[in-house]
Amino acid sequence: MVTMTINGKLARAKEGEMLLAVLRREKIDIPALCHHEAVEPYGGCRLCMVEITKKEWAGGKNMVTSCLYPVEDGLIIQTHTTDLIELRKTILDLYLARCPNTPAIQDLAAQYGVTQTSYEPVTDPDDCILCGLCTRICDRMGFGAISAVNRGHSREIAPPMKNAPPDCVGCLACALNCPTNHIKYSDRGFTREIWGRKFDLVRDAKTGQPTITKEFADYLSKHSDIPRDYFELKDESHRRETALSLGKIAIWNREVPQ
Amino acid sequence: MRIVKPKQLEQLAAGYRKTAGKHKKTVTVCCGTGCLAKGAQKIVDAFEECLNRRKVKDFDVEAVKKTGCHGFCEQGPLVVIEPQGIFYTKVKPKDIESIIEKSIENDEVIEKLLYTNPQDGRKIEKYSDIPFYSHQRRIALRNVGKIVPSDIREYIAVDGYKALAKVLTTMTPDQVIDEITKSELRGRGGGGFSAGKKWRTCRNVAADVRYVICNGDEGDPGAFMDCSIMEGDPHSVLEGMIICAFAVGAKQGYIYVRDEYPLAGIRLQKAIAASEEYGLLGDKILGTDFSFSIRLSRGAGAFVCGESSALMRSVAGEVGEPRAKYIHSVVKGLYDLPTVLNNVETFVNVPVIINSGADWFKKIGVAKNSGTKAFSLVGKVRNTGLIEVAMGTTMREIIYDIGGGIIDGRTFKGVQTGGPSGGCLPETQLDLPVDFDSLTKAGSMMGSGGMIIMDDKTCMVDVARYFLNFLVSESCGKCVPCREGLYQLHKLTEKICEGNGTEEDIEKMEKLSQQIVVGSLCGLGKSGPKPLLSTIKYYRDEYLAHIRDKKCPAGVCKNLIAYRVIPETCTGCMACVNACVYQAITGRKKEPQVINPDICQKCGACAAVCKYNAIEVS
Amino acid sequence: MTHKLDKLPEIFARHPQDPSSLIMVLQDIQQEYRYLPCEALLQTASVLGVKLSKVFSVATFYNAFGLAPKGEKVVRICVGTACHIRGGALIKDQIEHHLGIKAGQTTGDMKFSIEVVACVGACAMAPVVIVNDKYHGEVSVGNATRLLKG
Repeated sequence: MVTMTINGKLARAKEGEMLLAVLRREKIDIPALCHHEAVEPYGGCRLCMVEITKKEWAGGKNMVTSCLYPVEDGLIIQTHTTDLIELRKTILDLYLARCPNTPAIQDLAAQYGVTQTSYEPVTDPDDCILCGLCTRICDRMGFGAISAVNRGHSREIAPPMKNAPPDCVGCLACALNCPTNHIKYSDRGFTREIWGRKFDLVRDAKTGQPTITKEFADYLSKHSDIPRDYFELKDESHRRETALSLGKIAIWNREVPQ
Repeated sequence: MRIVKPKQLEQLAAGYRKTAGKHKKTVTVCCGTGCLAKGAQKIVDAFEECLNRRKVKDFDVEAVKKTGCHGFCEQGPLVVIEPQGIFYTKVKPKDIESIIEKSIENDEVIEKLLYTNPQDGRKIEKYSDIPFYSHQRRIALRNVGKIVPSDIREYIAVDGYKALAKVLTTMTPDQVIDEITKSELRGRGGGGFSAGKKWRTCRNVAADVRYVICNGDEGDPGAFMDCSIMEGDPHSVLEGMIICAFAVGAKQGYIYVRDEYPLAGIRLQKAIAASEEYGLLGDKILGTDFSFSIRLSRGAGAFVCGESSALMRSVAGEVGEPRAKYIHSVVKGLYDLPTVLNNVETFVNVPVIINSGADWFKKIGVAKNSGTKAFSLVGKVRNTGLIEVAMGTTMREIIYDIGGGIIDGRTFKGVQTGGPSGGCLPETQLDLPVDFDSLTKAGSMMGSGGMIIMDDKTCMVDVARYFLNFLVSESCGKCVPCREGLYQLHKLTEKICEGNGTEEDIEKMEKLSQQIVVGSLCGLGKSGPKPLLSTIKYYRDEYLAHIRDKKCPAGVCKNLIAYRVIPETCTGCMACVNACVYQAITGRKKEPQVINPDICQKCGACAAVCKYNAIEVS
Repeated sequence: MTHKLDKLPEIFARHPQDPSSLIMVLQDIQQEYRYLPCEALLQTASVLGVKLSKVFSVATFYNAFGLAPKGEKVVRICVGTACHIRGGALIKDQIEHHLGIKAGQTTGDMKFSIEVVACVGACAMAPVVIVNDKYHGEVSVGNATRLLKG
C-alpha cells in the first residue's frame, strides 16, 4: 500500500495502480475522454493531467496524465489548479474546433466555461474525437477490424482500404463505447449494418427476436466451450430458462413451497 | 579471418598501415552526398580511365580513395593529394589528366584548382591552413573524408577496434560505464542527457534481455552529420555500440536508419558483414565470451520516429506513436525490455574516450559540456559544409571564421539550431557559446546539429510558418495539444503571412503555445512551438510589419509583395517570358515587358534570369 | 494496370515471418512495385500474422509508402529547411503548375509523379530536386522545370 496526498487529503492506493483510478475512487471529478477500464490507458486526450510533486523535489513540479502515472508513496497531487483548469479549457476549445456540433463535447466544454471555439473550425466536421477507444476495444475483443489511418491532423478511424472490414463481426463494442456516438449502425429486422458491412442476426428460437450476429456467435463458440446453439436464444430467454431451472431445484430441495 | 586475440589486431593494423604506405601518394576523392550530387563519380571515373591509359610510377587505381564527406561541401567536388594535404576545389573531370601529371608524377601544385581565401585573395595549398578547417576539431568526424568507408582494413589501420579490444580484455562493464560517466559525454542527438548515467540505469535493471539501439533517424531538415558519419565511417558506429553492449549487458542491437539515407544503410550493412567476418561482431567477439549482433532497421519516412519511444515502436513494426515516458525506455523500451538508445554521434565518441581517456575528453569543450559537436552549416552562409568544433565555441566564430560570413554580401539575420524543436537566434546572440545549456537558456536548443544561417532576405514569420507546417504533417496525431494545437498555430501564422493577421493573434499564439508545451505527450509537441516563440521574441517587429503595415520586409510572403518590370531598364530580351512557368509576363520583343500581378506567383524566376536587373520586388 | 505480384513470396522469404518485419516487408514491396498494391497488403497480413487493419495503419502512417501506382518519372522535391530558404517552396509551386498536379499525385498519362521529401542530406547543395534517383543540386527558380525534360 502507498500513501499519497490528493488536494490536501490523505489517500491510500495499491502498488501498481494508476493515479486516475485512485482519483475516481476518491470521487474527484476529472474528465478523461480517451479512458476505459477495459483497455490499456492511452494518454491521448490529456484532460486527466494533474500536478504532482514530492517533498524531496524541493518545489519542483511535474504535470502528468493520471491515467498512465503509477502511484508512488509520498506523492502530493493537485487536480484543479488554475494552470490545470486553463489547460483543460484549451484542450476542450481545440476539441470544439474539430467537433463543433457534438453534444458530448459541447457539454463537457460548457462545464469549463467554453461555449464555442476560439480557433478555426474544420470544414465538414464530424463527431469523431480520435480518442481511439473504438480501435483499442476492437483489439481487446480480438478482432482488430478497424484502426487509426493516416497521421497528424488527417488521422481518422477507418476500416482497411476504407472498404468493409473483413475482420469485423458486428459485435457493436466500438459503437456502444464511443463517447460521442459517432459510430453509426443500424439494426433492421435480422440485418445489421455497420462500417459498410451487412450482417445476419441469429434468431432467438423461443421469441423469434434477433440476438447477435452469426459471425460473432461463431467466434464466441469457437473461442470458448459455449456451444453454438447457445446463441439461438436471447439473453432474456436464457435468464428465464435459468430462473425456471433454479426454481425447480429450489422446489425439489423443499426451499420454496410448491 | 577471425581475430581471436588483441595481438592479432595490432599485427593486422601494422600490416595494413605498411600496405597503405606502398603508395608514396594517395588521392582522396570526396564522395559524400553533396559532392556526389555535384558529379564526384565522374571524377572517379576520370581517374580510372586515365590510369588505364597511362602507367604512373608508384600509383594505381588502388591509390584513388573514394571517401565520405570531407566537409567543405561548398567547394566540391574535392580532391585531396595525401600525405601533403594539397587541396583541390571545384574539380572537373577534364582536370584529372593534369592532376596526375603535375601533382602525382611530379610535385607541382595546380594553382587554379586551389582554394582562394576571400579575405586576402591568396591561394592556400593545404586544407589544414584554410580557416574553414583550421578552426575545427574533428573527433566524431575523425575518419570521415579520410578513409574508404566500405573497407574494414582502412578502419583497422587507423586504430579501429583497438578500443574494443582494450575494453574486452582489460576492463569490466562497470569500469567502462565509469569512464564514460567521467568523460561527461552527453547525448549528441539533442537531448544532452548523460550517456554514462543512461548506461548505468539500464545495467541496473534486473533483466535477462537488453537492447542497444543507435538512432540514425536524423529527421531535422538541414542536418546531415549522422548521414555523413554512417556513410563515411560506419565501423566507428559499430565499435561504439559493441562497447556499449558490453557495458550494459546486451546481446542484440539495432541501427535505425532513416529511409531517406539509402547509402548509409548499404554502408552499414557492408560494415556489419565485414566485422562479423573478422570476429569483431557476432558470436564470441575477439575470442571472448561476449557475443553481440547488430541488425539494421529501416525508417519509413516519419520525423516523429526520431523520438525514442516512437522509434522503438517502429523497430517492432508498428506505427511510430510515442508513449508517455513516466517509465523510461532504459527500464522498459523495445518490447518492454531495458533499452539504451543513443545517437550516432554519441556512439562514435565512445572509442575515442576509451582510447584517449575521459580526462583528455573533458579537457575539450567547457564545463559540463565536454568534447566537440558536429554541425551541418547551411543556408545563406558562404562556406556551407560539415564541421565539428569544441563545445563552447561562439556562434560568431562558427558563422564568420569557419563559415566565411553571409553570401552575396547580405546581412546576417538569424541562425536556426535544433531543427523544428529549436529556435532562431539573432545578431545580439552571436557571442553565445555553442553548448547544450547556453542554447537552451536562450530559447533555442542544440538539437542534432543542423545550423541554418538566414539573411535579411529570409522572412522570420515565414520561417515560423514553415516549421509549423512541417510539424503538422509529421505529428503522429495521438494527443490533442500537438495534433490540434500545432494545426491552429499554423493556421494563425498563415493568416499573418497573408496579411490578415491582428495583434491579438500574436497573444493568442503565445498563450496556445504555452498550453501545447505543457500538455503534449512527446518532444515533438512540447518543443513544437519553439521556432514560433523564439521568432516572436527576437523578431517581433517583423510580425508587426506584416500585421500593421501589411508588408513583408524580407520580400518573401507572396500576398505582400509584387514583382514589377522596370520599363526604363528592360531591354525586351524576353528571357523572363521564357522563364515564367505561369505565363504571367507579356510584351513584344525589344519592348519593355509587363508582369500581370493577377497571375504572377512571385516565384522570382524572372528576376533570376534577368541579366539587366530590370525586375524589382516591392 | 494490375501487377502479377509474383515477387511477393521471395520478398516474404527475406524476412522473419512475424509482426516485427512489417515495415521492412512493405518497403521491399514498395521498392519492387513502386507502390503497395491492395492484394499485397492482404497477403502481407496473412503471412506475417498481422491484422489487415494494422497493415493498413502502417501503410498510411509512413511517408515512404504509397497506395497508388507511380508515374514513369518520380520528381522528389526537397522541402527541408536549407532548401526552403533557398527557394524550395517556389520551385515546388512551379513544378506543380507545370505538370498540372499537386505533390502526392500522378499525371493522368502516368508520366510524372510529384513527391515532397523533407531533407535528403545534401543541404549544402540546396535547393535539391531528385528525378528518379538522380540528384540535382542548386536548382534555380529560373530553370527548375527544365529538369523534367530528358
